Amino acid sequence: MQTFLQLLFAGLALGAIYALVALGFVVIYRSSQVFNFAHGEFLMFGTFLMTTFLAVGLWWWVALVLAMLATGLLGVGVERAILRPMIGRPVFVTIIMTIFIGLVLRVAVITFWGVGERGMPTPWRTDGGIRLLDAPMLFNALWALVFAGVMLVGFYLLFQRSKLGVAMRATATDQEVALGLGIPVGRVFAVSWLIAGILAALAGIFLGMFPRSVNINMSFVALAAFPAVLIGGLESPLGAVIAGLSLGVLQLLTQGYVNPMLGSFGQNFHQVLPFVLMIGFLVVRPYGLFGTREVERV
Amino acid sequence: MPTTPLSVRYEDDLRLFASVWRRIGIVLLAVGVVAFPFVVDGRWVMTANFALVAVVGAVGLMILTGFTGQISLGHAAFLAIGAYTAAVTGDTFGLPFWLSIPLGGALAALVGLAVGPFALRLRGLYLAIVTLGLVFIVNHLLRAFPEVTGGLSGIRVPMLWWFDGPRVGDATWELGPLTLASREQLYFLFVLITVGVVLFATNLRRSRTGRAMNAVRDRDVAAAVMGVNVARTKLEAFGISSFIAGMAGAMFGYVQTFITIDPPFNLIMSIEYIAMIVLGGVGTVVGAVLGGLAFVAIGPIAEHLLGGLPLLSELSSSQQQRLMFAVIVGAFLLLEPLGLYGVWIRIKIYFMAWPFRY
Repeated sequence: MQTFLQLLFAGLALGAIYALVALGFVVIYRSSQVFNFAHGEFLMFGTFLMTTFLAVGLWWWVALVLAMLATGLLGVGVERAILRPMIGRPVFVTIIMTIFIGLVLRVAVITFWGVGERGMPTPWRTDGGIRLLDAPMLFNALWALVFAGVMLVGFYLLFQRSKLGVAMRATATDQEVALGLGIPVGRVFAVSWLIAGILAALAGIFLGMFPRSVNINMSFVALAAFPAVLIGGLESPLGAVIAGLSLGVLQLLTQGYVNPMLGSFGQNFHQVLPFVLMIGFLVVRPYGLFGTREVERV
Repeated sequence: MPTTPLSVRYEDDLRLFASVWRRIGIVLLAVGVVAFPFVVDGRWVMTANFALVAVVGAVGLMILTGFTGQISLGHAAFLAIGAYTAAVTGDTFGLPFWLSIPLGGALAALVGLAVGPFALRLRGLYLAIVTLGLVFIVNHLLRAFPEVTGGLSGIRVPMLWWFDGPRVGDATWELGPLTLASREQLYFLFVLITVGVVLFATNLRRSRTGRAMNAVRDRDVAAAVMGVNVARTKLEAFGISSFIAGMAGAMFGYVQTFITIDPPFNLIMSIEYIAMIVLGGVGTVVGAVLGGLAFVAIGPIAEHLLGGLPLLSELSSSQQQRLMFAVIVGAFLLLEPLGLYGVWIRIKIYFMAWPFRY
């Protein structure tokens, strides 16, 4: 029972990070129909930037906000300079473009920060925790959940209640009509990339905390979050959150209970399982849990 | 340069090399290809072998993505299947390469046909990411059975002439003044395969199936209304494309002589193939060929150019190549949507209209 709870808590924390990452994909996809394969590298950039801010002695919370904003602005710049001219081009062109942006960003991060691993300092005791139902839970996991929750609620309010949110939803439905109605579509794109960058940096910073570390492989978390994005449905923030949390829990429970039973086949089985589930799921529901069903017209 | 002659008979339309100029060009190209390994350094022959592998792989992806419009990020998985089939059949069972290559293709095609049905329900990004999942799954399976595939420690890929017989390159051939060592033998074998694959793809594009593929790419619902069997066309595209990818994988294994799972068979490889066909020009066979050749040529050029930059010289050579490739292809996407093929068309039009301009 204790092992189960421990895995569950760790899984929830990981799931919260997945949810933040998946949300970053969804925000951009909803407004601009671009699937941002560079998201993992944005995440990595934000995290490394955070370690630098902390190293120069900024107060933790200030550094957090600055790192998030800087990553968001990087996203805005990338969108304006590279992806805006791609509007109207085939899907795979934006896929390649974002992957290449990721590659270049990755090289830039390696060039500036090197390949060494580093820890992510926290204002609370890094390896401390509380006991919940007799199972230990790290402060880091707790805060990850809290932050994810705050971001998700804020995001929901922004999307459903604010004028900007309505503009974003209009743009997501039909860019040309939105433009015709006087919605500044370009600015909506910029805002969604800003939000995505902020989410990416936040996810990365929590991903870099104990027991994990800040390293150049952390961008692969974006790949790991793909199944959550697709199962949740590409257009659905709610789906991304639900699928992200379940993905985290499922992964850690599989790692804890199923992997040891499978022998050599079970090695890293928990990393592949989400993809298998995703493929199976999409056959039954091709647009995910809450994705929009495409109406086919000639 | 004269323009293409007017086709007045059906036979004119059927000809692959319609004009005299084309035929002259083809002869020159053939002479160049045959003479190539004897006029350049041995290192370049090796580069050419990799380029031929890239060309075959790119043609395979072109059929799926360029002709049929199905975005696949799973190309590396099919190459991995081909390469490991060649390795296991060669190393464990002693099969000759002319059996291993089609076997690798066939096994990849089987997997491709198994993935095909997903493409009937999914499109665009969903399909891209499902095929990306295929890369992870195939890599996991290869890693999970180390007694067959060698697992993380990798496996040898012997290229045999005959069952349990001598390997390609064991004996050096003397043809008069010319000597054919292992890499030259490989080069000529690969040239044959590549020419076969390129001709096949060119003809496929002109056939009923190829036109059905193009119709599915442009608008699958409209294609279905016009009587194209969309499901069958997509399955054919997946089958053919993965067969060719499997062959390319086997060839890749033979050039490497020793392969591991990841790297090279990962997402990056899939991306590189997509980038090749985009760089060359989507939807054309020439584009796949040019893209494959350019991809391999960029590597040495990148080393040459970037070696001097102070910040970048610390990167490993594969990182430099990737960076260079990313920047060049990115610039192409921004500035020349039709790729190298578009550049070629523009040059051609310029000379055809010369001395006038558009």
